[in-house]
Amino acid sequence: MTIQLNVSDLTLKIANKTLLSNISFDLLKGDYLCILGPNGAGKSSLLKILMGITPASSGEVIIHQQSLSQLSQKQRARQLSYVPQAHQGLLHFKVEEFIKMGRYAHHSVLSEWNTNDRLAVERAITITQTEGFLKRQMNTLSGGEAQRVMIAAALCQQTPILLLDEPTSFLDPRHQVEVHQLIMQLNQQHGISIIEVSHDLNHAAQHSQHILALKQGKKLWYGPSADLLETDRLSALYEQQFVFTSHPQTGAKVALPSEVL
Amino acid sequence: MKPTTIIILLILATLITLGFSSYLGSSTITNPDIQQHILTQIRIPRILFAFLAGSGLALCGMVFQAMFHNPLATPFTLGVASGASLGAALYVYLGFNISLLGIDGGTFAAFLGALLAITFVYSISRLQRGFSPETLLLTGVAISFFFSSLILFTQYLSNLTDSFQIIRWLMGSLTTVGYQDILQLLPFVTLCAATIIWLSRELNLLMAGDDIALSRGVSVHSVRYLLFFVTSLCVGAIVALCGPIGFVGMMVPHICRLLIGSDHRWLIPATLLFGGTFLIICDTIARLVIAPAEIPVGVITTLLGGPFFLWLLIKSRNNET
Repeated sequence: MTIQLNVSDLTLKIANKTLLSNISFDLLKGDYLCILGPNGAGKSSLLKILMGITPASSGEVIIHQQSLSQLSQKQRARQLSYVPQAHQGLLHFKVEEFIKMGRYAHHSVLSEWNTNDRLAVERAITITQTEGFLKRQMNTLSGGEAQRVMIAAALCQQTPILLLDEPTSFLDPRHQVEVHQLIMQLNQQHGISIIEVSHDLNHAAQHSQHILALKQGKKLWYGPSADLLETDRLSALYEQQFVFTSHPQTGAKVALPSEVL
Repeated sequence: MKPTTIIILLILATLITLGFSSYLGSSTITNPDIQQHILTQIRIPRILFAFLAGSGLALCGMVFQAMFHNPLATPFTLGVASGASLGAALYVYLGFNISLLGIDGGTFAAFLGALLAITFVYSISRLQRGFSPETLLLTGVAISFFFSSLILFTQYLSNLTDSFQIIRWLMGSLTTVGYQDILQLLPFVTLCAATIIWLSRELNLLMAGDDIALSRGVSVHSVRYLLFFVTSLCVGAIVALCGPIGFVGMMVPHICRLLIGSDHRWLIPATLLFGGTFLIICDTIARLVIAPAEIPVGVITTLLGGPFFLWLLIKSRNNET
């Protein structure tokens, strides 16, 4: 497997507080990497550094033999796209306008809207099944609809890597499944590499390929997802005991927080 | 209504306003030569000047609202205009009389004041991670008060003539005008408008928040510094020449957004046209209400703007809950 993104010794310090220290990992081509960890572990910060939203204090990220820090923000946005955790300030946009704005990185000041743009937007809309509410205002969408629109906008960027920050956290079970199926479809059918910050252990264990576990800004564990659901591993990560069972339908191993009886 | 229709209607409204306001005035002289002179040498330059100033103020307000994702954020509420006022007042007080490339030194003093204020407000609001609109607005208010008291102090130290000049100018007025004043303003408003038009896609994305804008590929920080620079120049030039004419930058872009939506490719021309027209109308009212005397135009805009500000404040509170 070829390495698509190489992260080495990434450190983030803000006002003498170390939020991330010496994080290193590789993202393979076509990989689905889940970043797990307790709240405040630095998961979102890591995504923001990769996207160029927060500058790292030290360390390097290499993509195509090039350091990300040498790319302009526009060049970076042609390699990586990002779906943030909470969305604010989008109130005044029509869904269609918002999705189209995802094409920014492929334009210069004077360039006209062309066939590539139209195709990219149509494709993003079809994949995310957002045709039904293109004419609506962003602030009238439900959580699940808004998340699909956010993913559609990111897809317009046509990047090989997609970063998602807790894409299912605020959704009901049906929409969680829906968004996760969409992400897997992007990964498997469209070959987009995924880095997803998540709290959904069982989804990560079953459907992603690799796990990066962070705790207090440090890398606790990195490995294939199949190895995640181990008692010691999970209790070390979350400081919580887990019990295991198998999924009645699929037989896959499932972790549940243990109850104090 | 389609955006093109709205823009065409706004162009018509602008032309009608330009026409009507040139024929409205306190003068009742029937001598055609003097009429002609008043029209071409006094009213027309004044109307053009009002149009430029109104467009400039409205565009700068629009930019601030987009950059800070808040309808209450404008060069006035964030203290940029009071920074410019302080610069200009100091220039009058110190009795400088410099000009560079035909541009009066007062403009540069106001520009520096504006730049100082925005740097200050922006740095303070950045001290907190993920700056909140409240911090930003309160910092702006604090800066405004601080600069206002420095202006008062400057006035206190000045002699009677300078002091009167400062007071009269602080009320915001378009009276002191001939064609040369238009040339003092034109380059700055044009530069500002051109930059804003050039950055219309970036402004659209900035409205969605910094994180989204960055992830779409906008170099948010360079864009923001560039916009700070050109709006400070524009606000500085307008404030130096006509004083702080408040609230145009808040009301006009907001009304335009309700009319035509938030896409800056349409919002910019709408704001430019409506801003200019709005200030011409306010100035015509200022000339006519107690004719033959006139009210400073800043009084009119502030009388309209105060209630509007409160309405926006209540409305945005309701939206949050």
